[in-house]
Amino acid sequence: MNRRLSTVSASLLTVLACGTLLRAVPPNQNAQTKTTAAKRAAPPKAPEAPAVSTATISVNGVTDIDPTKAFGSKTAPVVVEIYSDFQCPACKQLFLNTTQKVMDNYVNTGKIYLVHRDFPLPMHAYSRVAASYSRAAAHIGKCEAVEMVLFQNQEKWETNGDVKGIVAGVLSPAEMKKVQAIVDAKTLEPMIEKDKQLGLTLPVTQTPTSVFHTKGQNYPYAGTLSYDVLKEFLDQLIAQK
Amino acid sequence: MLQSFPFNYRRIILWIGRLVLGAIFVYAGFAKLLMPNTHLWPMFFLKFSVSTNLTMFQQQVESYKMLSPAAAGLLAHTLPFVEIVVGLMLVVGWGLRIWASVVTLIMVGFLGVVTRAYLLHMDINCGCFGTPEKLTGMTVVRDASFSALAVLMTCFAFIEARKPHPWNAATPEHSTGPHANQTVSS
Repeated sequence: MNRRLSTVSASLLTVLACGTLLRAVPPNQNAQTKTTAAKRAAPPKAPEAPAVSTATISVNGVTDIDPTKAFGSKTAPVVVEIYSDFQCPACKQLFLNTTQKVMDNYVNTGKIYLVHRDFPLPMHAYSRVAASYSRAAAHIGKCEAVEMVLFQNQEKWETNGDVKGIVAGVLSPAEMKKVQAIVDAKTLEPMIEKDKQLGLTLPVTQTPTSVFHTKGQNYPYAGTLSYDVLKEFLDQLIAQK
Repeated sequence: MLQSFPFNYRRIILWIGRLVLGAIFVYAGFAKLLMPNTHLWPMFFLKFSVSTNLTMFQQQVESYKMLSPAAAGLLAHTLPFVEIVVGLMLVVGWGLRIWASVVTLIMVGFLGVVTRAYLLHMDINCGCFGTPEKLTGMTVVRDASFSALAVLMTCFAFIEARKPHPWNAATPEHSTGPHANQTVSS
């Protein structure tokens, strides 16, 4: 009787163990589930930034010029560098009231080679973001349009930081996608930092600062320049022998 | 001995005020004309430097938001020259009461404007000496000190002008100078 009872119990236990083993999930299936879950959790890969050139040029002794942020003839007798901050009110005034006229009357006529240098000030929260978007736009050939819209709408984006929205207003969706990819990849950040370091060696103590290069000399001028006064100065500078 | 000594505390403060305020005003005037852009040669560089510096000073005056742009422009283009002239006249000492009064009026005016800007928490540059200089509590303290010196200097200038010079006022019985034995003819 006892032998029979123990045999039955052992058989029952064996059946139960086999049943448990049969109901367990095989290892291969687990790994596949984990991989799927991992794939679902990972963020989508960012689109690759378009290839941009970070090569710089030298003109009349002025080095490290980003050719996409420079305008005019490389054989012009005078090179003018403008160190500016997109969030600086005086820079806005210079850009809208003076630089545009200089572009029309001096740059486009081959008298001046104009170089835009970024000098984001630490107290301006969004100026570096604006510089990044402007630099990226320059590398797809949209420098002037983006700089204009950034300065014109300075009061809007400096309060809410919506630089992207302002820039998107003047670019097509395809252009904006390219610009955003460049900004996200931070490919051009070293060029902005290089401009900043060049300014610090002058030294640039405030923005805007314009540096006039002629005949091997450089003359930095801090502050806003009115076009009427600047015109007279440029005419005499260009006429120097 | 002390009676013939030409310096009393009023005259000492007058001298300090003349030299300190006179020098500061002359420096402030030249700094507004020649800083921060200080290219002096050739002449068209100097002209351009002065123009840009005065434009920058005009912007600093406008940032106080007390004057119209036209008035700020007029003030910006005249004040540096006024400061230089007033400072020189103070140092020279000619017409002291007039120039001390002018300096006091200017300093009290500066103090009022700077104090107003400070109390309104305006984040602006002082515009006092050409180069960018944030307006802080120390600016108010500095201007208050100079104003106090200017007021004292002016008051003492008027007081001293009424009194004869101690050398001229010395009487024979109390004098120990070279004219001690001479009698004064009526």
